[in-house]
Amino acid sequence: MEQLLSLWQGSGLYNMGLGQLTMIVICMLLLYLAIVKNFEPLLLVPIGFGGLLANIPEAGLALSAAEQAIHFAKPEVLAAIAQALDANTADPAVLKHLVHETGPSAYAAAQLAAQDAGYSNGMLYSFYSVAIGSGIAPLVIFMGVGAMTDFGPLLANPKTLFLGAAAQFGIFATVLGAVGLSAMGLMDFSVQQAAAIGIIGGADGPTSIYVASLLAPELLGAIAVASYSYMALVPLIQPPIMRALTTPEERKIEMVQLRTVSRAEKIIFPLALLVLVALLLPDAAPLLGMFCFGNLMKESGVVDRLSDTAQNALINITTIFLGLSVGSKLIADKFLAVETLGILALGIVAFGIGTGCGVLMAKLMNKLTKTPVNPLIGSAGVSAVPMAARVSNKLGLEYNPHNFLLMHAMGPNVAGVIGSAVAAGVMIKYLGG
Amino acid sequence: MHSSELISEGINLMLFGMGFVFVFLTLLVFVTGLMSSTVNKLVKPAPEVTNKPAPVSASAAGNQDELIAVMTAAVHKYRSGR
Repeated sequence: MEQLLSLWQGSGLYNMGLGQLTMIVICMLLLYLAIVKNFEPLLLVPIGFGGLLANIPEAGLALSAAEQAIHFAKPEVLAAIAQALDANTADPAVLKHLVHETGPSAYAAAQLAAQDAGYSNGMLYSFYSVAIGSGIAPLVIFMGVGAMTDFGPLLANPKTLFLGAAAQFGIFATVLGAVGLSAMGLMDFSVQQAAAIGIIGGADGPTSIYVASLLAPELLGAIAVASYSYMALVPLIQPPIMRALTTPEERKIEMVQLRTVSRAEKIIFPLALLVLVALLLPDAAPLLGMFCFGNLMKESGVVDRLSDTAQNALINITTIFLGLSVGSKLIADKFLAVETLGILALGIVAFGIGTGCGVLMAKLMNKLTKTPVNPLIGSAGVSAVPMAARVSNKLGLEYNPHNFLLMHAMGPNVAGVIGSAVAAGVMIKYLGG
Repeated sequence: MHSSELISEGINLMLFGMGFVFVFLTLLVFVTGLMSSTVNKLVKPAPEVTNKPAPVSASAAGNQDELIAVMTAAVHKYRSGR
């Protein structure tokens, strides 16, 4: 009977909290959206499943050794951790809070104390520290994206870079929105957190994960989920904004065919971009450096094996671990907060403003330059490659069946990737420690 | 942090950030333009070489009308496929 009781008390059912149950339902919903509705399945499947694993009661897959030790609360272990953290109490709740707030050296000491007592890091925690904590996974993905990107349309019409710049306004407007919400006392975001939320408006998954991991790791789960869900919703969010800001005549504008771009230009461009980054904004060097490296491998044409790995096998492997690691942040006590709702709401606002500004900028360019510019390509200035460009193309065809905007929209689309990486670099420079 | 301080920090970040993004991408427009024109001046002969075989093969094909019809169809298919 005694053994039966201990088995029952060690079971998931006995230990299931309301929060964990809610999170499991939310993760099931993410899986449903990914599998049935086809919303960014490549990311939402690993994220949703990682979230399920992270919320299994008592397993502590997403917890560090110290957090697990505190959770199981054996008095002598708690005392050792309290000593490591320099705390004068051994109350688990206080220690749990402290272990998140403390600096790296005290944290390492607490980890060692917990490991001495036989606790070890959970599987997802290890994935997280390797993939995201170190910053590696988003950067490797960026390299793969670089290896898949064709700068041809951008080189043929460099002015489209302005569209990529204008669409980044969504990011900064959202930062202001988040800060405003905290000033009004509705939410409690620091400037760092506001910046990490704003990057959702860049519509670039790896960039937002990278920035969040540096500026606001505690919000990473919500930010990544918001970022990828909105990327999947691009075809729903953008068209109404694009229609509202343009006239039917403008939507029918046909653009001049793009010139062909020589191979030499394509090879030199990533190098020129890297030099500019090195000279002006070294903080964007990790992101844009990997991006340029990937692109150079593709365009140089002499390392096809490496380029092929970067855009296929490596990016897939990284996506698996990135997704699971993001899922590890979907723990009840971190995710189920008013802030998450705020992040979801601000994210979509960021996206909308970015789209709008891109379209308005394209209208302005159409007025100022002699060559016609269809304002519909402006919305592609938010990154979301290549979905945003496809939306521009589709909307253009709707109003003029002979108007193929896809290649024209790819220019602002990749410009948006560069623009959001630059915006990320500015945020990290301005707010990073 | 005090709320007005927070707001002013947000506004600073917005002006500074947006300004920088524009400056950077404007510079990139110029650098790209400069790079393209220099490269195209330096490696002018290359596209000529790749262009030449096309007319040769066209005349070799003989039946011009049929060729034009096929090419138009191909171009159309390529464009609508995209």
